Amino acid sequence: MIKTIEELHEMLKNGEVTSDELVKDSLKKAHNVQDKCNAFVTILDDAHGSEVTDDILSGIPYGIKDNYSTKGILSTGSSNTLKDYVPFFTATAVSNLEKHNVVPIGKTAMDEFGMGGTGTTAHTGNILNPWDTKRMAGGSSSGSAASVAAGVYPFALGSDTGDSIRKPAAFCGIVGYKPTYGMISRYGLFPFASSLDHCGCLTRSVKDAAIVVDAMKGIDKNDLTSWDSSDIHLYDSLDGKVKGKKLFYIKEIVNLENYPDASLELKEHLNNFYHTLDYLKEEGVEVDEVSIDKNLINTIFSVYECLSCAEATSNMSNLTGIIFGPRGEGKNINEMMKDHRTKGFSSLIKRRFVIGSYILQKENQERYFVNAQRVRRLIVDKMNELFKTYDGLIMPVSTGPAPYIDGSKDEITKDNTTNLEEHLQIGNFGGFPSITIPNGFVNDLPVGINITGKCYDDANVLNIAFALECKMPYKNQVAPQFKEGENA
Amino acid sequence: MKFNKELIDDLADKLLIGLTDEENKLILSEFNVIDETMELITKIPNISEVEPMTHTLDNFTYTPREDEYEESIPIEDALSNCDSYEGREIKVPKVVGGE
Repeated sequence: MIKTIEELHEMLKNGEVTSDELVKDSLKKAHNVQDKCNAFVTILDDAHGSEVTDDILSGIPYGIKDNYSTKGILSTGSSNTLKDYVPFFTATAVSNLEKHNVVPIGKTAMDEFGMGGTGTTAHTGNILNPWDTKRMAGGSSSGSAASVAAGVYPFALGSDTGDSIRKPAAFCGIVGYKPTYGMISRYGLFPFASSLDHCGCLTRSVKDAAIVVDAMKGIDKNDLTSWDSSDIHLYDSLDGKVKGKKLFYIKEIVNLENYPDASLELKEHLNNFYHTLDYLKEEGVEVDEVSIDKNLINTIFSVYECLSCAEATSNMSNLTGIIFGPRGEGKNINEMMKDHRTKGFSSLIKRRFVIGSYILQKENQERYFVNAQRVRRLIVDKMNELFKTYDGLIMPVSTGPAPYIDGSKDEITKDNTTNLEEHLQIGNFGGFPSITIPNGFVNDLPVGINITGKCYDDANVLNIAFALECKMPYKNQVAPQFKEGENA
Repeated sequence: MKFNKELIDDLADKLLIGLTDEENKLILSEFNVIDETMELITKIPNISEVEPMTHTLDNFTYTPREDEYEESIPIEDALSNCDSYEGREIKVPKVVGGE
């Protein structure tokens, strides 16, 4: 099972393995990962193989993040407010994949409704990192990242509003890709912050990410922000030729001089980042250090918090327990809704909602919400200006490997490494295609590097990531403790 | 002080959410962080002249769909996740005329 999609397809076609065998193996591993990492809300034990055709995805098992609606299959968004919710329709991204005869194995646990970056707010408990179960998997696509990193299947679906695909991918040593906004329809994805929400995938190689998104994408009459990408063929575009390409990184975030009290982990992580750039230079890629106004950089975090909290507050006002979800107790309808929401939401997202509500009060809108939207434009304009010269932005992900779960908090705080933790949100502000790939180890734990490019230029971004991946030995890696007994 | 416990409780109540004292306290500290950073935003020169960016892409093309009849969802499906209904209708306590 610890094979790429291409390899599995080859094996299926020449009869070395059947789809049924792959599915059984995948289910067995899913239960093992569930025992060790708590990665699933639901494991679909009655799943069975599908017909294998010339379609490269046919017969292959995969995982679905639990905020994608799946007809007849429990879809909770990892929230008690939807703990028994079974949709009567399927998200477009999933139904697009179904046309390729893929086999869903389970629904993966996540930070509640995508609103967290740690994997510690799911209603089913903490989701643990398969490389070290004392550490977080990252979030919010925690279970998808953990299960792919543990070799359950070659890919799982994720969603990304701030960095929810790209950060857990780094923490789990795998690939996380969110394409340009609107390339994949959001219809049927539980909305968090609609202007920032992206669908995408977690895989163990860039090529697999290209194959999966090729199958997920497409214009959809049910999502007016989706667009026609029929002339984009990501998988076919990967040739690894990157000579003459130009990338930049942001000095004010990456330069070690910004962090006088840097930990050893951070120093090693940043040194490893610079070392990785050398691989690209060997391939003829020019990498420049670019300076951006620090005052603008310092606003990224608050712009994200303002916009995402405000949009989430509005989006989730339909969670009342009246039309769907468990009924609350109370003498009247208001008491019932309040009981449902008070008991159903985790502490973290209650806090986000209250912040969102404050921001949206008429007297506060200009200072917070509208100003955040204005700065969003300034940041996006600055990126687009740079993308006229450069093919992409290349940056280290986070401040190092996955933090320990004990002592970690998903609170809004600010210290001098915040910009390093939060810069991936730029990709959501502009809807830019953005991919994280593993680029080495710090303290024997995986770390990642991210490449973000201009809208609609996904093929170019993936190709640069592909070229870099080919220079490093981390493609298709699986967490060591899950390799034992592997013989497929 | 700009933010206080009463303000937070009032906001939570408007959202039909109850907070513990600990949750209230955390929100207060988070507000102070956000507010501090918003000061940075207001200090950006000519910020009020920038057009707010409400969406990721500015080039959406909206084409009205044909006005064709489509089936709506079956009522059984719509009620399938509802805990309390009668026939085709969702059941709630009396709304008009007291508790």
